[in-house]
This record gives sequence, structure tokens and C-alpha cells, in this order.
Amino acid sequence: MRHAYLICYDIATPKRLRIVHKTLKGFGDPLQFSVFRCELTKLELHDLRERLAGVLHDDEDRVMIANLGPINGRGDESIEFWGAPLSLAPDRGPTIV
Amino acid sequence: MAAETESAVPSSDPPVGAGDAQPDLLPVRMLNEFAYCPRLGTLMWADGEWAPSLDTRQGLFTHRRVDKGDRRAVPESDAPPEEPLHARSVSLSAPGEGLTAKLDLLELDGPVATPVDYKKGKAPDLPEGAYEPERVQLCAQGLILRENGYRCDEGVLYFAGSRRRVSIPFDDALVERTRELAAAFRLAAANDRLPPPLKDSPKCPRCSLVGICLPDETNLLSAEAADEHTGGALHRKPRKLLPALSEALPLYVQQQGAFVGKSGDRLTVKLEGKKLTDARLLDVSQICLFGNVMLSAPAISELARRGTPICHFSYGGWLNAITTGLAHKNIALRIRQFEVAADPAASLGIARGIVAGKVRNQRTLLRRQLKERDKGDRNHPALTALDDYRQRAEHTTEAGSLLGLEGMAAKTYFAEFFGLLPPWSRGDTNGRNRRPPTDPANAVLSFLYSLLTKELHVAVQSVGFDPMLGVFHRPRYGRPSLALDLAEEFRPLVADSATLMLFNNGELSEESFLSRAGAVALTDAGRRSVIAAFERRLAQEVTHPIFGYRIVYRRVLEVQARLLARAVTGEIEHYPAFTTR
Repeated sequence: MRHAYLICYDIATPKRLRIVHKTLKGFGDPLQFSVFRCELTKLELHDLRERLAGVLHDDEDRVMIANLGPINGRGDESIEFWGAPLSLAPDRGPTIV
Repeated sequence: MAAETESAVPSSDPPVGAGDAQPDLLPVRMLNEFAYCPRLGTLMWADGEWAPSLDTRQGLFTHRRVDKGDRRAVPESDAPPEEPLHARSVSLSAPGEGLTAKLDLLELDGPVATPVDYKKGKAPDLPEGAYEPERVQLCAQGLILRENGYRCDEGVLYFAGSRRRVSIPFDDALVERTRELAAAFRLAAANDRLPPPLKDSPKCPRCSLVGICLPDETNLLSAEAADEHTGGALHRKPRKLLPALSEALPLYVQQQGAFVGKSGDRLTVKLEGKKLTDARLLDVSQICLFGNVMLSAPAISELARRGTPICHFSYGGWLNAITTGLAHKNIALRIRQFEVAADPAASLGIARGIVAGKVRNQRTLLRRQLKERDKGDRNHPALTALDDYRQRAEHTTEAGSLLGLEGMAAKTYFAEFFGLLPPWSRGDTNGRNRRPPTDPANAVLSFLYSLLTKELHVAVQSVGFDPMLGVFHRPRYGRPSLALDLAEEFRPLVADSATLMLFNNGELSEESFLSRAGAVALTDAGRRSVIAAFERRLAQEVTHPIFGYRIVYRRVLEVQARLLARAVTGEIEHYPAFTTR
């Protein structure tokens, strides 16, 4: 079962910032600058941790991962938006174009 | 390795030139799995099955430092180092013991060698210091070191979860047990039949191969076969060890001229440079391309690496090809599949189950629909006829008559089925026609059958079958016979019921079709509705008729493919077709 995670980061160098941003794009959608909402299983979250661990410098960078709860439940209801978010909640059906 | 140490192991050396009879070196990592569960070890080592789980991935992550290895030389046993030395990621073999290992860490102190194995978890509270699989694995590493001439009387397990080193002495009992398990493992790997699953074991829920092994399901079905002889006791309902939902879903691209590319870990679909949509690779279980759609080489290679199949359809919905990564390793299953296909009696046994299941499902669909329409006429002649065909199909001894029964049942069934559809959608004859279909209902059925065949093609291929060789459909060039076989029982359940929904809920109308000189085809919009209905149906939960748990159709297809594999390898006696009540 997937949970929604709020993932935020402060990265010290532009190069690593770009890499972290690109990595996170593969796991979720940006809500604001440096803030992503990712729907992940535990295994997928572990994947993300591994990927980030290879990039981050622990003495300069920061990442925060907050578990918002299961999707279709608390995970969907726990964010309140003011203004225009960079992305909306993803459509969870099959993609047909 | 020094010449002296090699000759120090005289007796148990395998004979030179034994060729195929000489067993491969057994990796001690696999010996750990075998000690945990003989079936798990055999599935992994002999059949090459693998599925990552959170546990396995965390295990690898814990190992990332020791797995890196170092480039310093490690002194051989006849030249002990002057100072204690640590070496990471050391690969060693012992042909005498028939074992090979990659040691996480090797500690050398004079002539004494100590293998250290990293474990991600916490140290268990046991008098022996660790569970048997870990102790056996470590002891096997010790045996390898001994054969290479080192003195090795104990090993160390390092539990990363509790940051504790636990010493494991290699006493005679442990050495004997290790050799005993290694010998049993070789025997099991050489056997055609897998070791039986564990019975109701607490080890199963966390096992990464539980979806491949199907322990409770296999036990139930093989016990049922045994019970016919013994008179039968009640068996426990299988635990629900399979996840009910699949997180990843297909991506269909039917927009002509679209381009599918990869950007980071996402797939993007563009039309004339403008983005139509994008999807995380995590969310894509397969991609289906219809007609003139382009796919970039980086996308193909990434999809293949992840084991995500790419299904290529013609514009009209004909399944042309499936692109996958390197072929499945389970060659033993393929050998059995070809044996079964070459044996008319064995093929017929499975085909009977498939056809009877299909006719039963056809009857169930009609019974439900007619009940709604005619307010409970239970003795409709079509229902009685289908019942009769099913019973005869179950007992027939000839492939030819099975084919005939299937055809007659289809004729009876479709005569009633088309009557359930609105008049504009069907032709004059209330029957199947194809190549090309001449009315909307047949166009939709043909397209849905094509989608269903694709789904089962992917399912049987991922289990390790050759999709082209079936037991009911005879092989023909380019025909995925086994996928068609397995699709039979699902045609009424998935495709026919989706057709009823599409026409009777008004999702399709006359505008959804194009007629060209009598040949009827779906428009782009119509096809999109059909794909959506098909996917909705696959996402629907049903109660499994044999196992009793709730499961979505998409998973049912996969489970049936695995059960077919069990029937082909003889682990369960009959292939149990999926039928609803």
C-alpha cells in the first residue's frame, strides 16, 4: 500500500540541487520549490533513500521526509493549498492517451 | 591459490571431465536461503527466480560498504601476514566442498582466518547466537577458508541493527549440519520437482518470493488431490499473502504520431513537441502502443532493464509484438511445458479444465443477465445446454471432441449474449464474426479479446512459459497459443462483461464506430472508452472461488499463470480454472 510523503530539501550546491530535483521527479510531483509530494510503497521509499544517499553531502545538505499517511485516506486530506500549487494530486488510474 | 593447498583436499575432488554431472559450486548465500526454506533456496538457485523486497533491498544497502571491496592484496595461507589484516569483499571457492562465497569481511591474524558476515537486522536472543540459516552460511564460509589452507575455528556475524558482533564457533555438529544441508540442496536442485512449500509457516509472509511460491495455495490444491484418496479433512483457508492491488498500471498510447520518451525516471508522451502526459516509471507496469507511435531508445532500454514489457499493436488493435528484456531464466519450466504439449493426454487434461471453466463462466454470465431480464427463469434452454456441454467437456477423452464442444457452447452462448445488447450494436445473425467484424458488438469483442490475450501473454511470459506453445490451441506461426489457452476462461469474465457494460451503460454509441464497406472499426474515442472499461474490469475485486480471499482480476490472471505452471510441473494434479459463482 502506498503512502503519501512530503519531501523537502535544502541543498548547498546548484549541481547537487539539480540532481536531487531530477531524482525526486522520478518519485513524485513538485508542490512548491524544494517541496515534493511522493506516493510510494515502503520499497519505493527505500529506493529513493538509496538514491539520495548517493548524492547528498550530510554536512551541508538537508532532506526532510514526512509520512502523510495512506493515499485515499489521510495522505490525501492532510495538505491545504493557498494560491496555485505547482502540481495537483496525480490521477491514479491507468494512463490512456 | 597455492599448489599445496589444492592438493591438500584429495578425496572429495570431483572427477576430472565429469562434464554435466559435475555440480556447480553452491553459493553459500543460497545455502542460507535453503536452510530457511528448501523451496525458497531451490527457486532461487535452480530456477533463477528473484523478486526484490524491502528486506532484500535493505540488506544490500547494509552491505554497501563491505560490498565495495578493496584493492589490497590478501596474503595466502602459506604466508601469514605479520600484522592483523582486514579484507573486504573476498571471493573464494572450495571445489572440494563444492562451495563458493563472497566473504563480506575476512579478518586475518597470523594463520587464523575469521569470516565476518554482515546482517541488517538485530541480533536474536538465542543461546546459539543466531538462527540456523545464518550459522550454516557462516560455517560454509569457514569450510571454504579451511580448504584454502587457513585455520578457521569460528566466524562472526555482525548485526547492523544492534551493532553487535556475535561469535559462532564452528563445532563438529555445525560442520556436519552444513555439509548435510549442502548435500540436500544439491539433491533438491537436481530434482525436477520443487520441494513442497512450508505448511502454514510464519516465515512465509515476509518471504520475497511468496507471490511466486504461492505456499498456502499450492498446499491447499495438492492436499485436495490427496484427499480424494484419503477421504478428506478440512483444510485451512489460505492466508492472504499476496498483495491485493498492483500499484503499477499500463500506459496506453493510441494517439497517432505520438512520441514516447524518457526524462529522468519518467516517461513523457509528446505530440508535435507538446507534452500530452507523463508518468513515473514506478507507475507503469507495461506500455501498449497502437499503430504509428514512436518510442525512444533510452525508454526501451530503461523499460527492458526494469522488466516492463512493451506491447506493440497495429492501428486496428492486432497484437504484433512484445518487447521484453532478456528471456526468463526458468528453463526447467519450459522443458516441462514442451513435454506436456507433446503428450496428448497431459495436454488434454489441462485443456479440459480450461474449456470447462470457460463454459461455466459463460453460463454464469448468462444466468445472471437472464435472471435480470426474464425475472428468474432458471430453466432457460441455453443454460441447460451449457451445463450439458460443460459436463461433457470435463469427461471427454479426445482433443477433437473438446474443440467441438467448445464451439457448440460458444454458438449457444453467443445466440443469447447478443440478445442482451442494444439492437443497433448487433448484426442480423446474433453470432461472432471477425476479420473484419461487421457490426459494432463484434468489433468491441474482437478488440477486447486482443487486449485480454496481450494481458495473458505478458502473464505467462513473466512466469517463464513460452507463450507460443499451448495445450488447447494448436501451435501456428506467430500465434501465442498458450496465452490464448489461458484467455479462454477469462473471456466471459473480463471481455464479455465489459462489452455488456460498454453498450448498456451508454459508454459507446453509434458515433463510436466507423463503417467502411461493411467492416466496422472503433474510432479513437471509442477505442479509448473500450480500453478504459477493460482496465476498470481488471481493477475490480472478486472473491477467489477456491482461496476465499479478495483479489483484483489483474492479480487473478497472474495467479492462474502460476497455477498453470504448478500443474505443468506436476506439483498440483489438476489445473484449477478460475470460475465465478
